[in-house]
Amino acid sequence: MTYLKPLPDTSELNRPFWEGLRQHEFRVPRCADCGDWNWIPYPACRSCQSEHQVWTAVSGNAVVWSWSVVHRGPGAFNDEVPYTVVLAKLAEEPRSLIVTGNLVGIDPAEVTMGMPLTVVYEEVPEEDITLYRFAPVR
Amino acid sequence: MAFPQRQAAIVGVYTTKQGKLPDRSSFSLQLEAIKGAVDDAGLTLADVDGLLPMSLTDHLAGTPAHQFWAEQLGERPLSLVELGGASGQLAKAAAAIAAGLTEVAVLFYGKAGQLVGPRGTVAPKDKAPRVPEWSFMQHGAYMTTWYALWARRYMHEFGVTSADLAEVAVFTRHHAVLNPDSVMGRKGEITVEDVLSSRYICEPLHLLDCSIDNDGGYAIVIASAEVARNCRHEPIWVLGGAEAYYTDFYGTINDPWFPEGGKSVRKATDRAFGLAGITRDDVDVAGMYDCFTITTIRNLEEMGFCKLGEGADFVREGHCRLGGRMPTNTDGGLLSNSHSGDPSGMHTIEVVRQLRGACGDRQVPDARIGVSLQQGWAVHGMGSVLVMARD
Ligand SMILES: [Zn+2]
Repeated sequence: MTYLKPLPDTSELNRPFWEGLRQHEFRVPRCADCGDWNWIPYPACRSCQSEHQVWTAVSGNAVVWSWSVVHRGPGAFNDEVPYTVVLAKLAEEPRSLIVTGNLVGIDPAEVTMGMPLTVVYEEVPEEDITLYRFAPVR
Repeated sequence: MAFPQRQAAIVGVYTTKQGKLPDRSSFSLQLEAIKGAVDDAGLTLADVDGLLPMSLTDHLAGTPAHQFWAEQLGERPLSLVELGGASGQLAKAAAAIAAGLTEVAVLFYGKAGQLVGPRGTVAPKDKAPRVPEWSFMQHGAYMTTWYALWARRYMHEFGVTSADLAEVAVFTRHHAVLNPDSVMGRKGEITVEDVLSSRYICEPLHLLDCSIDNDGGYAIVIASAEVARNCRHEPIWVLGGAEAYYTDFYGTINDPWFPEGGKSVRKATDRAFGLAGITRDDVDVAGMYDCFTITTIRNLEEMGFCKLGEGADFVREGHCRLGGRMPTNTDGGLLSNSHSGDPSGMHTIEVVRQLRGACGDRQVPDARIGVSLQQGWAVHGMGSVLVMARD
């Protein structure tokens, strides 16, 4: 079945991130000068404005910082309601701590604050791209 | 350096019909609003030499807004064109007027036929749409989801309930009922129970926690003191104003997300009130960008009208309701009056009408000082504030 939900218009600058997802790694730019993490990726470190950032794989371990069960979705997402969008706090606590994503593999009614999560990967059929999702740790 | 207080005034305001306007275009609403506000001031288009289009105002494709509007309004050179978000844009226009860059400027916006909420996004038939690289849309999120996400966190951290949020929808609808031009007023009063039993859009936000999604246009004329004294209405003077920007477009949640010292809205408010020489207690009437019920609660905290975590108490104690200490969004706000896409200027218009004493059943008695807040990106990302006075 054709995937009809929005896909990212990926850039050359961030190719290592999307390449990482293909290899089932979630990579975050880490500043080579001051050591700070930067999420979402920016062209320079927010702390020291250095352009020397290194794509560094994180563990994929996270907890629920917040979540919303969506009952009215935009576009093709509306075929999947109710679904859960999560703000996941990564274990490494990269700035800005929180990664937005779909939460899959759980009944929306069972989500709780602080619940342990892990990054999972979804290959999009007919498209040369892998997306990240979050799933509960079983 | 002091802000040039009372050297510029709001002299004209106009709102088109708000609601479903299938026979109108965005352009025709913008033009009607510009003409209407200029007429309200007792001026003519030939007096206008500055334009303040709202950031999201569309115009003829392929021509910059400056040039399109300069030509459209009579093929005359215009002295000042400044895009922005209402409250801060007007503060900067007041400073520009005092500095002699322009004498009469018009802020305007109009939108028809395009929905802002999820109903406005149609699923494609054959190929996935592309969105910017870090857009929350790839995760099924949109603005309501984003506000819902941090609303839940806020409720968790500060012990605030859905019933607390609902109180905002209730008082704002009460104001809309008293405003004959509001979109939702004719539907009548609502209760906390009505809000809680309306369907979920994005938990914890119900339908009645969300702003409406309609067409409409509006305009505001700001002019020099000299021009203002000869206008049709009593001038509503600009005492001060400021803006502040912080985070990006729904990409990041900064840590801490709820700092005691606030973020953009606090910075803009502190600066605006400092320049205007007023305190929080001086405000008789307020208009605050209220895209969701949670937004009003956080606005009150960020603007410093109460402490962090006490916004819901402030609402429950009745301070925002007509008759309260600081009636807020007396037109019914974005929740129950109108949300036409880029509606930030509507809050300023209602405050101007209150300071003119022109609000009929919803008039705040003896309103002398009013404040309008524009905010975006979850109350944290950006904010701008305008302080106005009747005399
Ligand atoms: Zn750095």
